[in-house]
Amino acid sequence: MECRADRSKHLTSSLPKLILIGNPNVGKSVIFNYLTGKYVTVSNYPGTTVEVATGTVRMGGKRLQVIDTPGVNSLIPMSEDEKVTRDILLSEASKALIQVVDAKNLRRGLLISLQLMEMGLPFTLVLNMWDEAKSRGITIPTEALKKILGAPILKAVATRRKGLEKVGDQIHRSHSLSLNPVTYPEPIEAAVSEIVPLLPEAAISKRSLALMLLAGDESLSGWLHQNLSEETIRRIETIREHIQAKFTDPVGYLINQARLRKVDEWLSQAGVTAGGPPRSFSTRLGNLAIHPLWGLPILLFVLFVTYEFVGVFGAQISVRFLEETLFGQWLLPPIKGLMQGVVPNRLLQDFLIGPYGVFTMALTYALAIVFPIVGCFFLIFGLMEDSGYLPRLAVMSNQIFKKMGLNGKAVLPMVLGLGCDTMATMTTRILETEKDRTIVTFLLALGVPCSAQLGVILGLFSALPLGYLMTWVVLICAILLVVGRLASKLLPGAASDFVLEIPPLRVPQLSNIVVKTLARIEWYLKEAVPLFVLGTALLFVLHETKLLDLLERCARPLIVSLLGLPAKATEAFMIGFLRRDYGAAGLFMLAKEGLLDSHQILVSLVTITLFIPCIAQLFMMIKERGLKKAFWMTAIIFPLAFGVGGLLHWAMRFLGV
Amino acid sequence: MPRMPSVKGVRSSLLSPLRVHLQGTIGFGRLCQIDLQKKGEAMKDEMGNGPGPHRKRWGRMEGVEEERVDELLELIWTLREKGVSDLDQLLGETKDVEAKSILRLMIRDGLFHMEGNRMVLKERGEEKARELIRRHRLTERLLSEIFELSEAEVEEEACKLEHILSPGVTDSVCTFLGHPPTCIHGKPIPRGECCVKFKKEMTPLVIPLEELGLGEKGRIVFIHPRSHQRLDRLSSLGIVPGSVLRMHQKNPSYVLQIGETTLALDRDIVKDIYVKRAMDAD
Repeated sequence: MECRADRSKHLTSSLPKLILIGNPNVGKSVIFNYLTGKYVTVSNYPGTTVEVATGTVRMGGKRLQVIDTPGVNSLIPMSEDEKVTRDILLSEASKALIQVVDAKNLRRGLLISLQLMEMGLPFTLVLNMWDEAKSRGITIPTEALKKILGAPILKAVATRRKGLEKVGDQIHRSHSLSLNPVTYPEPIEAAVSEIVPLLPEAAISKRSLALMLLAGDESLSGWLHQNLSEETIRRIETIREHIQAKFTDPVGYLINQARLRKVDEWLSQAGVTAGGPPRSFSTRLGNLAIHPLWGLPILLFVLFVTYEFVGVFGAQISVRFLEETLFGQWLLPPIKGLMQGVVPNRLLQDFLIGPYGVFTMALTYALAIVFPIVGCFFLIFGLMEDSGYLPRLAVMSNQIFKKMGLNGKAVLPMVLGLGCDTMATMTTRILETEKDRTIVTFLLALGVPCSAQLGVILGLFSALPLGYLMTWVVLICAILLVVGRLASKLLPGAASDFVLEIPPLRVPQLSNIVVKTLARIEWYLKEAVPLFVLGTALLFVLHETKLLDLLERCARPLIVSLLGLPAKATEAFMIGFLRRDYGAAGLFMLAKEGLLDSHQILVSLVTITLFIPCIAQLFMMIKERGLKKAFWMTAIIFPLAFGVGGLLHWAMRFLGV
Repeated sequence: MPRMPSVKGVRSSLLSPLRVHLQGTIGFGRLCQIDLQKKGEAMKDEMGNGPGPHRKRWGRMEGVEEERVDELLELIWTLREKGVSDLDQLLGETKDVEAKSILRLMIRDGLFHMEGNRMVLKERGEEKARELIRRHRLTERLLSEIFELSEAEVEEEACKLEHILSPGVTDSVCTFLGHPPTCIHGKPIPRGECCVKFKKEMTPLVIPLEELGLGEKGRIVFIHPRSHQRLDRLSSLGIVPGSVLRMHQKNPSYVLQIGETTLALDRDIVKDIYVKRAMDAD
């Protein structure tokens, strides 16, 4: 949800590396935050971290660069975020590894351990969520496990900072790892020994590389072409095809099966016992939240609470206080007085406190209107993230998303879009096919309002009868549905499978919610306020040069004739490009001044919701999907937004609503 | 598209009782006829040329061709199915003029013994006869159902093949046909090792995962490999044959529990997974 542009550029640092690795949603980021004292977002759903984060830590007198990686289920990557992790292992020559494992899910964790062993990478195993495993009656004899793996093992409850003190002690100890834990079916072993001599020296063992190649890991082709001749690559491919012909099942699947058999062997060898199903209140509530019958009222309740908190408390009560009392009565009058006294130049005066002034418009919009709404939303959203409700929302809405040619996994970026579309565009990396990523990126840009915009929209609607809000919701959803469906029909490629891991429902940790909300508010202030000022300055210049009038006149057929809105609404659409919420805030002010009737509010909000994404999102779209796709998306969105708005206006007029 | 014999196995075994019911009353299996003149010459030949391959297996039964022993064993078996074990009746049915002396050799070789006028198969004879009958009747089914040969052709070929099919091929045929319980004439096909295994692991218990009831546990028997990527992904989450999972719910999405992992999946994926119901103790 926050801008993390600073996250990926540090990998060139010359410090020795300490890499955090593990399955999704096991607590790598919590440990990263603990070690580095930085804050990267921590949530309770798989796929929170889609980009690599780096920080430094001092351990045993040495400075280390800590790298937080996206979660993986296998070191043969299936999606872009998993590839990032594998590539780090492949590229970093000197490194220490901490593998974080969910103690409840030791089997899946050891599947990764086994692959690390095959790669010849020593690691420290952190059995996180030890408390949850214990409460479920799972017993893990760590000494026995340690003997089997040859890796040091720590028990931890990372969110409570328990058991992490010793992480540093273990890292520099060398331990003897068994190198070839698994013997694969004979033909596979034969092929491995055929491929190994063809491979160059790498940061990970040749055996593990050979196995990746045999499993048909396509994401490795970049590395292959860099390091091997075309002839060798062809030879490896021949070996692979030859071996696949011997089996009915895909080789990668056979390899995974052999690995899991080994892991099961380890588990019984070490005497790990499974626990019974937990019968706590949170488990039951978690089950109810995805129940075909009870899930719906719970969903409606969550939406209701969000609406009350963001729309009513945030957008009405808080905004009224901040805007009318704090800014309108306490802050602005003295500032205006001061400026009029101190600043002699009228132009400069107008720039600061005029109708398009930095104080009167930019800061008032940013701090008095958007800030309370966004703050409330960040808080609620943080609660949803940390409780584990978001993936449950995906389960509930999978059917709807299927109609869009997407699957429930796409719900995650779509719902995250309600937080910040820019971040959500980046989160599309958790989707497995480029087709899915493209559709979701497009839908995010088209019709998913971000928290700030949503808050302002809710605030506007809260003054109108409920029917208006419902019309808006139904219309936007219908458009997303139709457009998504069309896109899935038109775009080539297959849709990805819906396999989503659902974390247990947890009571959110207050401290994390507070830290996360504050981090997001800080990001909001840093990123949004300057853009608000920039937008205001732009309007100011246009206003002073009378260009604004001209633009408004040019846009007249569009805004006034087509949409039936006052000409002044043009400004809102213009600044809406800088920030979605800024545009909505402009409409908010127009409505407050009584320039928009309820009919016009609906039309303008539908249009601005569909209207082009903000500038940050556009850049992210270009970065993630490429210039060409971003251009086409924008080119479709523009006429679509105004077309739908116009249709709505004329339909309501025609029907006499 | 990769082959999936086990899927076929499941399906056709579900159908075969029905088919048997429809076809079972056609007639009784005929006895294999041996062209005695030809066999006699062959016998002389072999005697002249020293021990042939058969004689190695039947060390003490020198001079008697194995096929003729086979035929008599089969006859004893089929008569027994009709409730007849009288030696005289057997001698009345067999076409082999030398039956008596061959039977004597068979007794000497420990294949059966006499209780008064009744023939009682001994363990070795019982086993040999069972395998012969199994091969014969499976071959009949294969030839008539799959190759759609006429009944005369079926018998002719089955009589040849029953002597030469190896145990491995026999089990493969059996699996391919879905472990049919009876021959085309409705007579029981003796069970082989493959059927026992099938019964224990799969028969009525293997069901598509989607048929598993809410809260029930199932052990994965196989996953239909529709796409390589899907299999890879599922296996990295621990979904492989042998894993035990619990059906948590089916709507609005399928939700499965594997160990402490809860997964939501599409019906598309779930319907490719076949499981065997597992006891709660698993």
